[in-house]
Amino acid sequence: MKELRMILYKELIHIVRDKITLFLVLAIPIMLVLLFGFTISTEIRNAKVAVLDQSKDSQSVALIDKISSSGYFQVVAYPETESEIDRDFKEMDIKLAIIIPSEFEHSLEKEKIATLQIINDVSDLNVASVLNNYLQAITHDFITEYNHKGSESGTVEMVTNMRYNPEMNSVYMFVPGIITLIMIIVTALMSSITLAREKETGTMNMLLITPVKKVYVIIGKVIPYMCLSLISTAMIILISVFVFKMPVNGSIWLLLLLCIIFMFTAASFGMMISAISKTQIDAMMVTMMGLFLPTVLLSGFLFPLDNMPMFFQVLADVFPAKWFIIAIKDVMIKGSGFFDIWKYLGILILMAIVLITISLTNVDKRK
Amino acid sequence: MPEIDIQHINKRFGKIEALHDINIMVEQGEVFGLVGPDGAGKSTLFNILTTLLLPDSGQVDIMGMDVVKDYLQIRQSIGYLPGVFSLYPDLSVQENLAFFATMYKSSVLDNMSLIKPIWKQLLPFKDRPAGKLSGGMKQKLALCCALIHKPKILFLDEPTTGVDPVSRKEFWDILKDIQHKNVTVVVSTPYMDEATRCDRIALIQNGNIIKIDTPNNIISNFRGHLYTVKMDDIFGLMQLMNQFELTCNYYPYGEHFHIAFYDEVEKALPAFERFLQDHGRQYGEIKPITPNIEDCFIELMQMS
Repeated sequence: MKELRMILYKELIHIVRDKITLFLVLAIPIMLVLLFGFTISTEIRNAKVAVLDQSKDSQSVALIDKISSSGYFQVVAYPETESEIDRDFKEMDIKLAIIIPSEFEHSLEKEKIATLQIINDVSDLNVASVLNNYLQAITHDFITEYNHKGSESGTVEMVTNMRYNPEMNSVYMFVPGIITLIMIIVTALMSSITLAREKETGTMNMLLITPVKKVYVIIGKVIPYMCLSLISTAMIILISVFVFKMPVNGSIWLLLLLCIIFMFTAASFGMMISAISKTQIDAMMVTMMGLFLPTVLLSGFLFPLDNMPMFFQVLADVFPAKWFIIAIKDVMIKGSGFFDIWKYLGILILMAIVLITISLTNVDKRK
Repeated sequence: MPEIDIQHINKRFGKIEALHDINIMVEQGEVFGLVGPDGAGKSTLFNILTTLLLPDSGQVDIMGMDVVKDYLQIRQSIGYLPGVFSLYPDLSVQENLAFFATMYKSSVLDNMSLIKPIWKQLLPFKDRPAGKLSGGMKQKLALCCALIHKPKILFLDEPTTGVDPVSRKEFWDILKDIQHKNVTVVVSTPYMDEATRCDRIALIQNGNIIKIDTPNNIISNFRGHLYTVKMDDIFGLMQLMNQFELTCNYYPYGEHFHIAFYDEVEKALPAFERFLQDHGRQYGEIKPITPNIEDCFIELMQMS
């Protein structure tokens, strides 16, 4: 045990004295979250809209109020005719125009159905579809409230069923992805690179001819980087909660358990990489091609898996990232409990066991 | 029983035969030198002896233990100083030593007696990162780390390569000192002058052992008659020498030209002088000299 403590201490010195790497490991997660959160956001705020209210009754005014107070839309013009809408599109750069037909309130009350006409600026398809979705959500809210007030129920014609992320909040999408990437970079890549460095510089041989157990050398290598990645993960979650208002609906302890289990899976990937690579470059390439790229492309983090060819969907199942991302979204957003996600935890643990077995059988016991 | 018994060791890496039928016996308490040019197979042999590499065939016993089966026991009683600097450059001198002491389940204080003379020289730099030491100091630190567990045998792979001449001499004094503390020392070197400081040496070339003997015996068994000439255009003369018909062995030696005759010297020497004059060469006095270990090595290489 004294040896293990010494190895941990030595590893800690390596980490603390390598200021640049330490800075990168701690700063990159923060930078990634802020970057994704503020710039690569698909979220649109204060989009300029024009409203042509042909009804001007209490319900149409209430709907306009709701739209302009949502934060997503800013009503900049109230055109009187449809031709004025065209002018507003060109001159005021509005993204969207809403036409409320005459007798809006009347239709809702008597016919239980009212129609909104939406005119979109589809020059940017993404913006248009995002705004449409916002509008649908707001209308849905509006009609729900309306139904609560009156005894009878009515509908507005653009109601879709959007759950869990009605604002299409992009933070929800990328935070699990970033946590996955950071865990892989810090736990798998850093530990395998530093292990390969010991092989490259010959210190591995020096360790080997000492009577110290090889498993201590590996454990001593992995634990500090696990701690480092836990710190990074905690920072990511804190930023997403406090800066981007992402909820943690599930148990924080379950979230921690999930992260620790995934960390073990990542660490066992790191062990396998170390077992097959002799140099730092090897370790880097194997991690990049074998772990990093599949995680980015095949985890559902950037590209939805449902649209992929069958082959890639099956391939995605083999990598741990997909399961971790599903599970962490369930815990953070849906508030799932242990019994909802135990299946994913099981898959991650199973993967870790398989990987550790492979790397232990492949490793030369003398080396 | 010899301390180290190497029998019929072979090792190849793909198409390259790194070691071919190596047989060496090292006695307890001697300084045994492995002398040969770069790429001769010295480091490969060291890796096998230190249990880091498996031989393809053959048998190695270290203190009666087999390097393949008993590698764990062997590792506890040997010290190894590899050919490349293999300590942690970001750890200080003191931290490196403490680290390896712990790895050997020992402590720095327990084993001060063996390393004290070296440690005293390192003391002023004890807080400096090992990577920022000079070449000689790095080797002294590595030696301390290799000795921290009082090994019975110390393996040193080219310990003085890249070290200045003064530090080299110091380093060898330290090795002799360690030998007197009853440690068997196996050391490799590409420097011929260092070979004479060993009790016995093995000359190794292209994976073959070409001679094992004491340095004195090797020198006294030099077969030719060796002469040295100082001249300017040694390279030009080397080109011409294939026209010289007597059996001889010649090579440039710094600013001098060394030539060993194997026929009767009474005839050969005048013939050589005539040869030089016929080709209009400018040359200094042709002096007979006692061969040094390098001359012997070259002769042995030519004959093998």
